[in-house]
Amino acid sequence: MSSPAPFRTSDATAGPPNPHLVQIRDLVYRVAGIFQPDNKLRLLEDRCGRRMQALAVTSLREYYECLTIKPIRQAEMVALLNEITIGETCFFRNQPQLDALRNIVLPRIIEARAKLPLRHLRVWSAGCSTGEEPYTLSMMFLEETAAKLKGWTFEVMATDLNERSVAHAKHGIYGDYSTRNLTPYYRQKYFIARAEGLQVNAEVKAHVNFNRVNLLDDARVAFMKGVDLVLCCNVLIYFDVMSKRRVIQHFYNNLLAHGYLFLGHSESLYGVSEDFRLVHLPSATAYVKAEKRQVAPQVKT
Amino acid sequence: MSTQTALIKRLEGLDQMPTIPVVLGPLLRYLEQPLEHLEVQQVVDLISQDKSLAAQCLHMANSPLFGRWQAVDNLRSAVVALGLQRMRDIAISCSVLTLLPKEKTNVDPVVFWEHSLGCALVCRQFARKINFPNPGKAYLAGLLHDIGIVAHLWIVPTEFAAALEMARSRHVPLHEVEAEHLGLTHCETGKIVGERWHLTPDLVAVLGCHHYVDRAANDRDLVALVSLSDLLCRMSGLGYGYIEERQVNFTEEPGFTLLVQECPSLQTFDWARFTFELEAYMEEVHRMVSLLYRSE
Repeated sequence: MSSPAPFRTSDATAGPPNPHLVQIRDLVYRVAGIFQPDNKLRLLEDRCGRRMQALAVTSLREYYECLTIKPIRQAEMVALLNEITIGETCFFRNQPQLDALRNIVLPRIIEARAKLPLRHLRVWSAGCSTGEEPYTLSMMFLEETAAKLKGWTFEVMATDLNERSVAHAKHGIYGDYSTRNLTPYYRQKYFIARAEGLQVNAEVKAHVNFNRVNLLDDARVAFMKGVDLVLCCNVLIYFDVMSKRRVIQHFYNNLLAHGYLFLGHSESLYGVSEDFRLVHLPSATAYVKAEKRQVAPQVKT
Repeated sequence: MSTQTALIKRLEGLDQMPTIPVVLGPLLRYLEQPLEHLEVQQVVDLISQDKSLAAQCLHMANSPLFGRWQAVDNLRSAVVALGLQRMRDIAISCSVLTLLPKEKTNVDPVVFWEHSLGCALVCRQFARKINFPNPGKAYLAGLLHDIGIVAHLWIVPTEFAAALEMARSRHVPLHEVEAEHLGLTHCETGKIVGERWHLTPDLVAVLGCHHYVDRAANDRDLVALVSLSDLLCRMSGLGYGYIEERQVNFTEEPGFTLLVQECPSLQTFDWARFTFELEAYMEEVHRMVSLLYRSE
């Protein structure tokens, strides 16, 4: 047998990750709770590069200082998080999470709900942006009305801080980028072709209520009671620890005992809250309520 | 005769199942010696006796998962760059890849070895993170934990194929269906194989109890570590090629209760971050196993 040809992986040619990039990755996880695994480091480097260009910074070491010791650090962290999460909004964004919701979480909720008098599912898309997530949920539940949700009603409460996003969501017209994951089946069944793009049909819209809500507005959020499931993807990453805790406390209080909380891909509550327990689902994670008594959210002083 | 009895009887004739490559025994015995007695050239010579093993070792040595970022193109450089301990891990990994039968079954060898290699890497990384005393042993235990499945494929291929198919269609853990339909699981079979191969008692405990940690009479912490790593792999898409439809809270697993006594840092372990880190592992494991298979 002849001697084997040298083998290179793409990473082998690239060399080990820049230690300052790893520092930035760890900082982002510590501050925002969103993690970039090693295979996404190049993407993170690219995102940092865009910010470095905007700031006229030439090295990752210097950029790390912008995120940690310079006066602009808080605003810069928000700018970097915007870069990291850019382009993440689309229909059926996180398929493993949706599969886990449909195949494992939904039957569990149905089982728990069966003990209650009303066969009604109540879901909250918190920080729904331009509406792709709540409409995805509506379509998914409509598909289940002949199966798991037979004889049930459901509603998706969708809230966002940004008024323009909420207006866009209510209008419900989407371009190619947002609709890239839609199969022909869903396109045909739940959308109407318009000159500007695809519009969500009335059946899907009927189950979704959009409202402009600030998650830190205790009075508004306190009314979102009796929820089976909260989805809050890439929203908490922008909050400081105290604000995160307040929002999590609201989720805890508003969710029913069997309730679930889903965060964004690679997003974690580690070190932020003891109110929820991490559970693993196939290729996805979620949070369930830890057993404890209901408490009032801590008011900011 | 019950399926279980028939199976045990057939297991007694395990001779038809291949054992690990001839060169591995002397290599492992050599590497057991104190570091100051070891010579790099001797290790290179031993591995070079098996050309296929040497080629595969070189492939794997170039993976970032083994800490290598600059390409190496000969065994000596690989041993020097990676160290003898890592070379040992690599040699063992490559050796076991040859154990599956060549006949076509419903077990995809790539999927099977991706799970085993992935589990080995997760065990080692998990061990390091929670200050488990012997990450190298954890790697080996993770790599070999499912060797009972290999035995099933040699001894009862039809029955095992049916059990796997049933587990796949019901989306449930394989060992549950094995217990139901074969009367014993790859744990019991793995224990028999481990004893016949004269593996150390801690490895035999892992092979025999990784799905039933409470049954382990010795080395329960290693068994628990492999049990949790195996479960994490299966929940993260690095299982037996199908989805187990279940919800797992790792802090409620029997393995957690056992392991936390030995490694108190597990109490505050960041399971979420460790799970996200696996994404990078999976990509590399897929690449590595498919390359190793192509180079056979």
